Amino acid sequence: MAPSLIRSPVQLPPAEALAISQQAPAILQSAPSAVSSSILSKEKSELWIEYENLILSCLRTGDERAAHQCLDRLVTRFGEDNERVLALRGLIKEAEAQNNGELEKVLKEYEEILSKNDSNIPIMKRRIALLRSMGRVSDAASALVQLLDFSPTDLEAWSELSDLYFSQGLYPQAIYAMEEVLVLAPNAWNVHARLGELQYMAATASGAGNGAYQKQMAEALKRFSRSIELCDDYLRGYYGLKLVTKRILKDSAKPTKQTDDGDFSLPDTRTIERLNELATAKLAEIIRHSSANDRGWRGYNAAEVAAARELLSEDASSDIKR
Amino acid sequence: MTILSKTITAFGGILLAHACYSAQEHSALHSLRVATAASLTSSSTVANSLPIDVVIETIVATFIILLGLVLGTRPLRPIQWRVWAGKIEREGEDGFKDNNGEVNKDYMGNPFNFIESRPNFVDIRKQRKEFAEWVRTGGGGQSTR
Amino acid sequence: MAQVPVQTIHRDPQLFYWILFPITIVMILTGILRHYATVLMASAPKKLDQKTTREQRSLLHGMQVRSSFHALSKRSFNSRRDALITAYESGAYLKDPERKGQPPANPMTDPSSMEGMMGMMKNQMAMIIPNTLIMSWINAFFSGYVIMKLPFPLTIKFKSMLQAGVATKDMDPRWMSSISWYFLCIFGLQSVFNFILGNDNAASQMAQQMGQMGPQTAQMFGPGVDPNKQFLAEAENIAVVDHYSVLDGVEDRLLEGIRV
Repeated sequence: MAPSLIRSPVQLPPAEALAISQQAPAILQSAPSAVSSSILSKEKSELWIEYENLILSCLRTGDERAAHQCLDRLVTRFGEDNERVLALRGLIKEAEAQNNGELEKVLKEYEEILSKNDSNIPIMKRRIALLRSMGRVSDAASALVQLLDFSPTDLEAWSELSDLYFSQGLYPQAIYAMEEVLVLAPNAWNVHARLGELQYMAATASGAGNGAYQKQMAEALKRFSRSIELCDDYLRGYYGLKLVTKRILKDSAKPTKQTDDGDFSLPDTRTIERLNELATAKLAEIIRHSSANDRGWRGYNAAEVAAARELLSEDASSDIKR
Repeated sequence: MTILSKTITAFGGILLAHACYSAQEHSALHSLRVATAASLTSSSTVANSLPIDVVIETIVATFIILLGLVLGTRPLRPIQWRVWAGKIEREGEDGFKDNNGEVNKDYMGNPFNFIESRPNFVDIRKQRKEFAEWVRTGGGGQSTR
Repeated sequence: MAQVPVQTIHRDPQLFYWILFPITIVMILTGILRHYATVLMASAPKKLDQKTTREQRSLLHGMQVRSSFHALSKRSFNSRRDALITAYESGAYLKDPERKGQPPANPMTDPSSMEGMMGMMKNQMAMIIPNTLIMSWINAFFSGYVIMKLPFPLTIKFKSMLQAGVATKDMDPRWMSSISWYFLCIFGLQSVFNFILGNDNAASQMAQQMGQMGPQTAQMFGPGVDPNKQFLAEAENIAVVDHYSVLDGVEDRLLEGIRV
């Protein structure tokens, strides 16, 4: 079954994207092409979201014709000058561009639109994405910072900035940007887990001193714990928790003295061990149910479950060796 | 479960209809009797008292219908954040199906997923390349994220 | 107490077809007309320029930091707090920093706020004009008759409402005149409009009145509010936050709460 069109198709695996874009002719046929303004036909706002998502999947699978048809319908409804329509048109042009020259032309168009209206956020985002895609990361970063300066409540942009810094290996900046996301969505369990991952990677990256290392490990531990607290049986959270506790136990470094400058410090070894046991048991349970395909345990991503299994087996083999 | 609840509701409905019919018949008979008694002053107080069995039948029928409807509702949604979130993660779409096996309209998956997928910043050229790669390496086999 | 004999009034059944139905149909049609008129007259939401967006969103950002400080560690929160307070107090986010401290412009002379008021006026007009017209139409043509009897008893208080235009002292309040049917239509057609026009239609005036009652964000950034004062107040609010973090002791809570 193809996944629902209401949700954004960006993260779907290729097979599902293909399934969606194969639906496109049927969807385009079933929905009326012109917007009828009669009293009887009610406008559904979902329809327009479906069109947007359809454009994304069709472009991905190389079905430009269907993408253009969807765009035409959005244009007849919202007009040429709508911000999102402009961004989608740019997206199609980007996808169709064959060489760098054409991409430059698209970029020029974006800049032209922005010079007319400097608060067109969708176009700004497209421009940033295009810059990044063309490899001009520092330009993208500065444009993103400029966007966030006048719109600091944009979750997506903060997250993009975090990812951008992360790809450059600038962990503190990436963590800062992710914390901004957390300020705007304090209960998002995946953001907590992501922040934990960032902290963990920052800690394990070389160059961190012992004090900073411990601090970051402690915060990673707490972030993963929080993400599990916000979401029962969260595979990603348990995976991270297991990874972090294993690492800390292996280091077996004595916790540094309690500091009171607002940083987190590691809990005592007993607690870490218990957390490790908890994570192991939970991961085993999730893997067992998920591979048995039990009812009510089918939501996990197969690749994530496989990774967790690998982590556990690694753990088991090292136990035997010891 | 659904068949059971439907039978109970239907039974309750029949009972209620019967009670209504009885009440109607009773009031018709009663008013006829009053009319034959030919008392003009009390003509407005027609059918004031229903027989007790009709009243009881009505109440019982209402409760039976209620029982049937309650049995037929879909399971209540979790109200605790972590239980709800865990349900999304653990069960995926399966957890949000109604009795007919259709996924709820307002089911969104993890509502915070867009923070990490960032649809407005999508790098469409990279995605196209990846997709072409996937097709070339014999797509449809295994899908990785 | 003696029984009051039931009042019977012999009415021409034609009354029903020539008054009740026309009033109802006219009411529905005006509702639809009003909906489309409002849609047509609605001015597009005003574009905010970059500076204004920046001013408003920076303030919102500060509020977010204040309300979800618990998600941050103390160090991160403190650095944000310091940065925000300095920026707020120096007026770095203001639309035009040099006008800081001056009283806000008179909303009557500010063209942007005039536009908002015009919009409100237009909405009011779209509500008042048809209502007045229909009421005078009904008063001119159908006043003075009783057209129907409600199927439930009412107290005497309803007499003035339901029998407007019929000056008969002893009549049962269940009898109602055409003007009261009109009032019933005004309040009762809500769901009909919802059915015909969808949920967020402009025909249902009740919804509009509700909307006016709840002062929303429009009020917060409305005309006549000094953004500098808002920023200073927000800086003070952030300064007094007593920080704690959800991450404090989260692992203990986890071990307590979750049993394998």
